[in-house]
Amino acid sequence: MVELRLPRNSTVGKGQFFPAPAGSKNVRTFKIYRWTPDDDSNPVMDAYEIDIDSIGPMVLDALIHIKNDVDPTLTFRRSCREGICGSCAMNIDGENTLACLKPIRDMQGDIIINPLPHMPIVKDLVSNLDGAYAQLRSIDPWMKADSAPPPDGERLQSPEERAKLDGMWECILCFCCTTSCPSYWWNGDRYLGPATLLAAYRWIADSRDEHQGDRLDSLEDTFKLYACRTIMNCTQTCPKGLNPAKAIGRIKELQVERKL
Amino acid sequence: MNATSPTHRTVMRSQLGRARGLGSGHSGTGHWIVERVSAASLLPLSGWFVIQMFRLGGEDYEQVAKWGGKPVNATLLAALVATSFYHAEVGLQVIVDDYVHGKAHAPTKLLVKIGTGLLGLLGIVSVLKLALGRPASKG
Repeated sequence: MVELRLPRNSTVGKGQFFPAPAGSKNVRTFKIYRWTPDDDSNPVMDAYEIDIDSIGPMVLDALIHIKNDVDPTLTFRRSCREGICGSCAMNIDGENTLACLKPIRDMQGDIIINPLPHMPIVKDLVSNLDGAYAQLRSIDPWMKADSAPPPDGERLQSPEERAKLDGMWECILCFCCTTSCPSYWWNGDRYLGPATLLAAYRWIADSRDEHQGDRLDSLEDTFKLYACRTIMNCTQTCPKGLNPAKAIGRIKELQVERKL
Repeated sequence: MNATSPTHRTVMRSQLGRARGLGSGHSGTGHWIVERVSAASLLPLSGWFVIQMFRLGGEDYEQVAKWGGKPVNATLLAALVATSFYHAEVGLQVIVDDYVHGKAHAPTKLLVKIGTGLLGLLGIVSVLKLALGRPASKG
């Protein structure tokens, strides 16, 4: 049934406080979710005072500064620091986004950083996305064509056909959208979630793919596809400005089109 | 993850196996269509019903029974009742899917079907009684 409160071992407590060094001018407080599997303690919110004049402009700059200079135990994923790898996806100020693309100065007051919501936690800001990755794999996110490719080159696509993939190939699989979706929180074991459905439509819409029907067949399910309630958190939160809700809507339209 | 007590993992199935689960149920499109068609149909039907209720406001039983006895009124009334409860059924199913998990899921879904079905049937029978039954004559 519905869980109205967090399980006892997930209740978040108050953590340590790391004051800013003397002489700091432009101090902002970062409250960061901390949890480690190494002991039995509950998660806490540690507070770090940072002089943001001394670091780069993005939230990721603050996290890297904390790890390098304040508290080396802080754990988070990061790689490209330019919004293309999707590693630093986390919940910043109540919104799932990429720490490397989120300017600190865009936010008022304390900056609250949590891991992506409703996923198992590995440590601190690192959430376990194994289930979401497996769901992506379950829709066969690769081209399936039975006709032989032209002997002298690659499979061709008209500019118009290629244009249909715009707004989908740009997805970096950070799963900000999937973990922002209440329907995914409730039924994440059966509902595929917006990121995976966007990827599914990317292949359904690809003119070179010859398995549209099979793909629609495997999606036609009360939960896998239709647990989407058009809440639209996915589109609102996407740090790349994509529209997974529209892609899901297109899949539903195609399902209806072949039924009527 | 306790270092002192050995942890027992009850689920060791691979993530891909869990993601594929029982596969596609090959249903859901029909539900999605009737959700929208019934909602759209309820707009004119409820509009008609509200207007009729205003027109009948203050009338006595005889007049209302006479109104309900007309075939067009009885047909639209039965359509309104059937569509309302059908829409309630498909809508409540979504709420059950979202909020009721585990073993309670299937029985709750069945209860919703039975409950809305019986209430709809009661409404239809009442409409038919009004349409076909002979109102008690008062002189």
